[in-house]
Amino acid sequence: MISLGGSMADKDGRRAAIPLLLLLAVGFAVPLIAVTAFSFMPPRTFSLLQAPTLENYETIIFGTSYISFLWSVVLAVATVVLLALICYPVAYGLVHVFGRWSTLLTLLFTIPLFVSENIRLYGWVLFFIKNGVLLGTMKSLFGIEMESILFTLGAILLGMVYVYLPFMLFPMTLSVAMVPNDTREAARDLGASRWQVFREVELPLSMPGILIGCLLTFVLAVGAIAEAKILGGQRIIPITHDIEIAFTYSQNWPLGAALAVLLMLLVGVLVISALRRFDLDQILRRG
Amino acid sequence: MEEPVTPQRPAILTLKALHKDFGAFTAVDSIDLTIAEGEFFTIVGPSGSGKTTLIRMMAGMETPTSGDILLRHSRINDVPANKRPTCMVFQSLALFPHRSVGENIEFAMKIRGVEPPTRKARAVELLRQLRLPESYYAKSVQKCSGGERQRVALARALAYNPEILFFDEPLSAIDYKLRKTLEKELKDIHRETRKTFVYITHSLEEAMVMSDRIGVMRAGKLVQVGTPNEIYSSPRSKFVSEFMGDVNVIAVRNTGNGSLLAPSLEAKFTAPPGAPQIESGHLVIRPEYVRFLGKADEATNSLSGRLYNEYALGSRIQYQVRVGDQVFVIEKLRQQAYHGRLDDQVLIGWDSQHSILVGEE
Amino acid sequence: MFAFPERVRHGLITVWTLAVLVFVFLPGATILLASLTASRYFTFPIPKWGFEWWYKTFSSFEVRQLLSTSLSIAAVVMVIAVAIGFFAALAFARYDWRGRSLYQKIVLLPIFFPQTVLGLAMLLWFNAIGLELSWKTAVFAHLVWIVPVVTLVMAIQVYSFDPALEEAAFDLGASRWQVLREVTLPVLFPGIFSGALFAFLLSWGNFPLSLFTTGSDTTVPEYLYAKMVAGYTPGVPVLGTVSTIGAALILLGGYALILIRGRKRELAIEATGKRELAAEAAG
Repeated sequence: MISLGGSMADKDGRRAAIPLLLLLAVGFAVPLIAVTAFSFMPPRTFSLLQAPTLENYETIIFGTSYISFLWSVVLAVATVVLLALICYPVAYGLVHVFGRWSTLLTLLFTIPLFVSENIRLYGWVLFFIKNGVLLGTMKSLFGIEMESILFTLGAILLGMVYVYLPFMLFPMTLSVAMVPNDTREAARDLGASRWQVFREVELPLSMPGILIGCLLTFVLAVGAIAEAKILGGQRIIPITHDIEIAFTYSQNWPLGAALAVLLMLLVGVLVISALRRFDLDQILRRG
Repeated sequence: MEEPVTPQRPAILTLKALHKDFGAFTAVDSIDLTIAEGEFFTIVGPSGSGKTTLIRMMAGMETPTSGDILLRHSRINDVPANKRPTCMVFQSLALFPHRSVGENIEFAMKIRGVEPPTRKARAVELLRQLRLPESYYAKSVQKCSGGERQRVALARALAYNPEILFFDEPLSAIDYKLRKTLEKELKDIHRETRKTFVYITHSLEEAMVMSDRIGVMRAGKLVQVGTPNEIYSSPRSKFVSEFMGDVNVIAVRNTGNGSLLAPSLEAKFTAPPGAPQIESGHLVIRPEYVRFLGKADEATNSLSGRLYNEYALGSRIQYQVRVGDQVFVIEKLRQQAYHGRLDDQVLIGWDSQHSILVGEE
Repeated sequence: MFAFPERVRHGLITVWTLAVLVFVFLPGATILLASLTASRYFTFPIPKWGFEWWYKTFSSFEVRQLLSTSLSIAAVVMVIAVAIGFFAALAFARYDWRGRSLYQKIVLLPIFFPQTVLGLAMLLWFNAIGLELSWKTAVFAHLVWIVPVVTLVMAIQVYSFDPALEEAAFDLGASRWQVLREVTLPVLFPGIFSGALFAFLLSWGNFPLSLFTTGSDTTVPEYLYAKMVAGYTPGVPVLGTVSTIGAALILLGGYALILIRGRKRELAIEATGKRELAAEAAG
């Protein structure tokens, strides 16, 4: 297993990769293929051994699912934009401002990742609900009575920004850390103003991480379901909810599968075209 | 050609037609070499010349594509590195960061099941031999300075008494002063332990300081093997002669009767005595053998030019004189500095016995 | 913003970061407060404080069952994920082999993927091959997502591993197994430990994958979700808080452990050395 001789690396590398590749082949590739196969099965059936049909896709194209799709995409894009703006200063701070505290702060920002989304979102419910933390405080301290912002678009967006924050923050922090100090100082030395240094040096050089953060956030956000359900009531139905309904209430697995396939296509196209451009060794090694 | 292999210093490592290909790329091209027991042999060459591959094959980290490696008289091609009585000091030193200095040194002994008290005694003995304080036994290697780490790496390699020590450019990443000190210390350790050292570096200067013999390597082949003196004063090719840094090289054609014509300079020179009979080649003169002349007949060969530049190099001064398109390099000791001004018209020259004629390459 | 002097700018960044941090922990704090109400419904400011619901929750058999299920899944996931991930990380960052860059991208795919779709896909697949859903199928589902993440975490450390360390150990006479035991594993231990931590915690808190693949078994997140959408139960904040604090403690504790371990080791080495030298000197 240990490569003790340069030219044996090829064999060792392949051997070391096998367990994971096997897991992914059986656990990732095959189920996705199964979903795709299912999408071509007649509606409301549960077996894969039938003659393929395009009915499900027809139902989708001529139906109203595109609204859900649109909502999912719009919410995801809004989340990405908001998070990019929110996280960059924090990433910058973690790398250049907080010094010794950065490790602790990073750990603190990591903790939410390990807590189930539901719990985190529920906290927001309790915060915003009538007589909850916010409104209750307002009422008892200031005597103001307000409508809850729960079950609005704003609440859903808040929830999404909240849940996906770490996924934007960490890739960004990694690549802000990669901007060499020398380069920044050199630009300064050559007469650039602070804004120019940012625009000409820091931003472009940390772009790979920013893009990865945006991609990751978008992909995960477009597959989000809990925020809309818990914080939004039934106000807005994202595509994932449509998929879930197809699988549960409607008992229409093939339709659900077809919707899932379309979502997968959207995500797949984005991810594969983005990953092709990146040299992971360079990004991860320097971080 | 070489072989100071004698009954008192028998061959310890013999390479026969040793060859290594990486796909279509030949790293080591059928090399023959014999290294005598107890000698300090250095392989010198530019990056990419194949010297690292060569030494790794000798140490057992790389398997040859063809050819044989013999330890004394037994073929060791198939003996893995952990079973060879050899030890390598790596370029990065590869000290185990999670272990103390003592634990690093004792590693080879621990692996072989040597008892702790015996191991410890040997480790302390090595610390002394390498001029490290005994208290370093418990010190974490991460806290050691560059020079100290070099010594720990060497101690670790010497610990179980290997027959041959290999060195993969261990001093290339250190500053000048420390390097000079360590070079001398390495030479001392070699003398004290009387082991065979096989060393690789890209600096001929470094090799000259420490080695008994040097092998110059280029593009997978050994182009010349000899003592430092031989390499320096009798290089057999332009490549080898230029390896030592600044040197004067003139393209010449043999016009017979010991006379050489340099077309680019439109001048004629006297060939050195005993020069090979070749049609064309290069005349090589070392900077310290070229001097400033008052009159043309003060030396066998002379040229007229313009003083172009002057560099102070510590105890020596280097002058650059422009003759036509070519720049000649002269080095003089500070006490014998040339007193003149830049842009002076000067006369320079050398005696033919101080020049060397080499082939095209 | 850029026109301000550096101190002001850094001050603004600090304030902003702290605000974001508060934002991040606000829901958690809310839930903690909620778990401390003694009343059946949640109103703020809290009328009655008490630990009653904590007692009720922990004495519930159902809750203990949930905790055990979540724990079993997380523990098994952790062990398998570290085992597979260790080699996967070596293939990712250590060996230079043909196909490595394609491999790296394949490893990332399950991470850049909506988990709900993955969960559903696994559900379909398990059904299609007639596999009964239980906590074991959930383990498998978790692994598909978690092992790539763990691989990434470990690969980051493997990148800075000097291969010459293994070669040196081998050259000094160690067998391949000894090299692994004496050099590779100890040096890579922090990465392995982080990977194990991540694997455990990510599995413990996972909802989308568990939802579709646990079948009749239930994990803590699934239970909480069901209760949440059904209406307010005070038991939910309690369990939620336990989950959160548990995660925080394990994470912070884990890292504290690594730091302390490193420091203790250093001190122990120096102490042993000094003691031995003193003993020698004494006779």
